[in-house]
Amino acid sequence: MRLTDVALRLGIAATLAVSGVSHAYLYIHGYRHIPNIGTAFLLQASVCFALAVLLVIGGPAWLRWAAAGLAAGSLVAFALSRSVGLLGFTERGWQPSPHAAISVTAEALTVVLWAVGLLLSRRAAAAQ
Amino acid sequence: MTSDRDPSSMTRRQLIRHSAWFGSAVVLTVVGGEVISHIAGSTPKTSQATRPTLRFAQISDSHIGFSGGANPNVADTFTEAINQVNSLGYTPDFVMHTGDLTHLATPAQFDQVKQMLTGLRTPHIFTVPGEHDTGDDAGQKYRQVFGAGTRGDGWYSFDIAGVHVIALVNTVHLPKLGQLGKEQLEWIEKDVAGVSNDTPIIVFSHIPMFAMYPDWGWGTEDAAQALSYLKRFSSVTCLNGHVHQLFTKTEGNVTFYTATTTAYPLPHPGDGPAPKPVTLPAGQLHDALGIREVSYVKGQQALALKEQKLQ
Repeated sequence: MRLTDVALRLGIAATLAVSGVSHAYLYIHGYRHIPNIGTAFLLQASVCFALAVLLVIGGPAWLRWAAAGLAAGSLVAFALSRSVGLLGFTERGWQPSPHAAISVTAEALTVVLWAVGLLLSRRAAAAQ
Repeated sequence: MTSDRDPSSMTRRQLIRHSAWFGSAVVLTVVGGEVISHIAGSTPKTSQATRPTLRFAQISDSHIGFSGGANPNVADTFTEAINQVNSLGYTPDFVMHTGDLTHLATPAQFDQVKQMLTGLRTPHIFTVPGEHDTGDDAGQKYRQVFGAGTRGDGWYSFDIAGVHVIALVNTVHLPKLGQLGKEQLEWIEKDVAGVSNDTPIIVFSHIPMFAMYPDWGWGTEDAAQALSYLKRFSSVTCLNGHVHQLFTKTEGNVTFYTATTTAYPLPHPGDGPAPKPVTLPAGQLHDALGIREVSYVKGQQALALKEQKLQ
């Protein structure tokens, strides 16, 4: 259980870092000039990096909730930008490639790893 | 000794520990943000020290001659927009009006808008026609007033501060969507043939160069052909009017920005059966109108845009 817990924690940190790198790259390469969206990308990347570092060190359980919330929020923002628009910003499909696909995959994995961790901890608590 | 503390409540030590983690998260977020901003070369210190190579303003859709409840006096709001451009705190290198200068393309409306534009304090005023400017005579009256030095239906290009600017006409042939036509497409291909890949490209047009909402004609039928000639450039920025609202999208190397209007708002895509002028509650019109500032710093890929509501 202990090993699984560490693996899940590091997995969440890694997927968050990937999403952060992707957003930071897009911010640096042009997105910073898009009104509102640029700031949102910078904030997303910064919070991703901060949470990833703290998760690697250890940290309380709420860090994982924050990580899952951030990843889920990013996925919702992605979906909005491909449908009704987000603050007047829209993009099509998996553009910009490959960053859109990398981010979405990483964020989905963050949520999945968080959910698995939550399930395991509840099962362990019920067994005791 | 007994304790009456709730076992599920947090001890002082736990509270301090959680606060420390939270504080660390905030500090790391700020540090991360600073590092990314620094890498992007967009820290406040840098941006203040770097004067833009090119600064210009975009105004759009003035509809001089319009009369209706959505804006009882479009001339007044256009004058306010001009005053706002003149109050930017610097002289823009040029001002671009992205079409629908007039509402009905009458000689009197063209005279009026031409006179009003002379109030702009800038070395150069450029325009592209909207469908309201070209509707009844394929743009002849428009070109008599604003067509000097242009080609074909009124398209042209110029270079300024290391940026190549292309002004297109997609409102003369208007089956449903905007259309550039074969002649203009051939001209675009030739026009950019000698331009180096790292030159930033700015494309002005009235109707969006992307399919914003084809059901309402908010798109250009042969835009993909035009944009294919611009694929090799590292930065392409398309600025347009027509839709009377701000909207942004990115496709590969191209970023599209629609501009707001100085006259009256239109509904968001799909809100209602047709894009008819929207009458806002009293006092809210100015929030829907505005001007746009655009700046470019040499060496950077993208342009910086700043939207201003009409004051």
